[in-house]
Amino acid sequence: MSDSMILLLAKGAWETIVMTFVSGFFGFLIGLPTGVLLYLTRKGQVLEHRTLNNTISVIVNIFRSIPFIILIVWMIPFTRALVGTSIGVEAAIVPLSIGAAPFIARLIENSLIEVPGGLVEAARAMGATPFQIVYKVLLPEALPSIINSASVTLITLVGYSAMGGAVGAGGLGQIGYQYGYVGYDVFVMNTVLILLIMLVFLIQFLGDFIAKKVDHR
Amino acid sequence: MIELRNITKKFYQKTKAITALSDVSLTVPEGKIFGVIGASGAGKSTLIRCVNLLEKPTSGEVIVDGQNLINLSSKELAKARRHIGMIFQHFNLLSSRTVFENVAFSLELDHTPKQEIQKRVSDLLSLVGLDEKHHDYPVNLSGGQKQRVAIARTLASNPKVLLCDEATSALDPATTKSILALLKDINKRLNITILLITHEMDVVKDICDEVAVISEGQLIEQGAVSEIFSHPKTALAKEFIASSLNLEIPVDYKERLVAAPAVDKRPLLKLEFTGQSVDDPVLSEVARLFQIDSNVISARMDYAGGVKFGVMLIEVFGTQENSLRAIEFYKNKNIKVEVLGYV
Repeated sequence: MSDSMILLLAKGAWETIVMTFVSGFFGFLIGLPTGVLLYLTRKGQVLEHRTLNNTISVIVNIFRSIPFIILIVWMIPFTRALVGTSIGVEAAIVPLSIGAAPFIARLIENSLIEVPGGLVEAARAMGATPFQIVYKVLLPEALPSIINSASVTLITLVGYSAMGGAVGAGGLGQIGYQYGYVGYDVFVMNTVLILLIMLVFLIQFLGDFIAKKVDHR
Repeated sequence: MIELRNITKKFYQKTKAITALSDVSLTVPEGKIFGVIGASGAGKSTLIRCVNLLEKPTSGEVIVDGQNLINLSSKELAKARRHIGMIFQHFNLLSSRTVFENVAFSLELDHTPKQEIQKRVSDLLSLVGLDEKHHDYPVNLSGGQKQRVAIARTLASNPKVLLCDEATSALDPATTKSILALLKDINKRLNITILLITHEMDVVKDICDEVAVISEGQLIEQGAVSEIFSHPKTALAKEFIASSLNLEIPVDYKERLVAAPAVDKRPLLKLEFTGQSVDDPVLSEVARLFQIDSNVISARMDYAGGVKFGVMLIEVFGTQENSLRAIEFYKNKNIKVEVLGYV
């Protein structure tokens, strides 16, 4: 393998990592509060509100049903307005974050549902406000499960970012597409695959490790 | 201290209304321990949840420490709840927090300074006898220890009232005893009024001053524990008392038991002592008056609220005529006699 090719692959791997983690971060920034709100407005919960719950639920479902490759194209005007371009890593982060957020929201909602209802009841009986219930009871108790959700999300984002590569997002996906699909360079394609697999294994390993560390159940 | 006035609670399932509580009123005087006993599904859980408004009653008034809770805003209610402690059947400790942090929880809600939390939590943990466990996680504790942590946690905010929702139902008998002793101690030492619900008459007998019997969402009987034990009016109250005094005939007696008298067989009697029974040394009296020997096979006698009650299985040695006279004698002393058969 030539030096320039190694450099290209290293750059691609770095771009993939940046896309995955930065959009994961923004995805959580939007998805976490949305998931918490979805949970709190459910029937029988502290902020039960049917209309609000249904509204959020519908929005989440709509965004989850758009295939990611179409979401990228569909969001181009918005992306351009936000970061000034529709090509490259920065531009890819916008649809990646938006694509991940509703997915994260649902995962968070499910993590919170698993927290035993008695704990919320005990906190209410002690006079906790809904906000205190969220950050002192629900989130800490669901933390192991939320970290597992984070691994799942990040791994999904690795895949999404590769898809983005096909339409000019950069990263390993673009290299794999150009050299593998267009140029049929089996060696480069396989190297890309191995790098992606390593990244996924690493994320899963770290996720499991941290989840285990914080789990006292 | 706690007053419930005409509480009615209905749950709606689609179009069907289910009445969980209907027109329940009760008063718990300051410093007393009040027990509500009932079978599962009788509405006792709903009742205790109405006191701190975890369930909002459909109608009626809830007054705790002179404050009517029904019309409070959610902020005022949260504040009022700080003075109403509650412990649960399944403890409801936070698994993500250590014992120390669990007890600190309610203090954190009030933004208590760190130093004060440190001192208060240490004091509480030694009060409940868990000095060594500060940094353990709940998963490593036994049931009794978990309930002690829950008690310390709820005492942290200096409650005037403590609600116990089947607090000992998930514990073994010995642990139950120790938790009940702790509750009694708290009641005496800190003058905390306790309202507890249970399905075990033993719990009522051990620590309650007053008791109410709940059935199908209604309080069908209430009064001082001694009063209910000595003069139970309803069948359900009698049943609960009997359930705490259940006696089985031993298996080898059961095998030999026949329904009709026979030459070489002796009657097997079940004597039931209630509050109305005359408190006399009846067994020795019978022995003297009718030349009857009694072999006590098994017995369970108890003493609560100043009355003696219980059941006893005895095998009677004597002539048939004298045996009948002895039975008559017991009956005159208001002791319930049942001839179970002949062995």
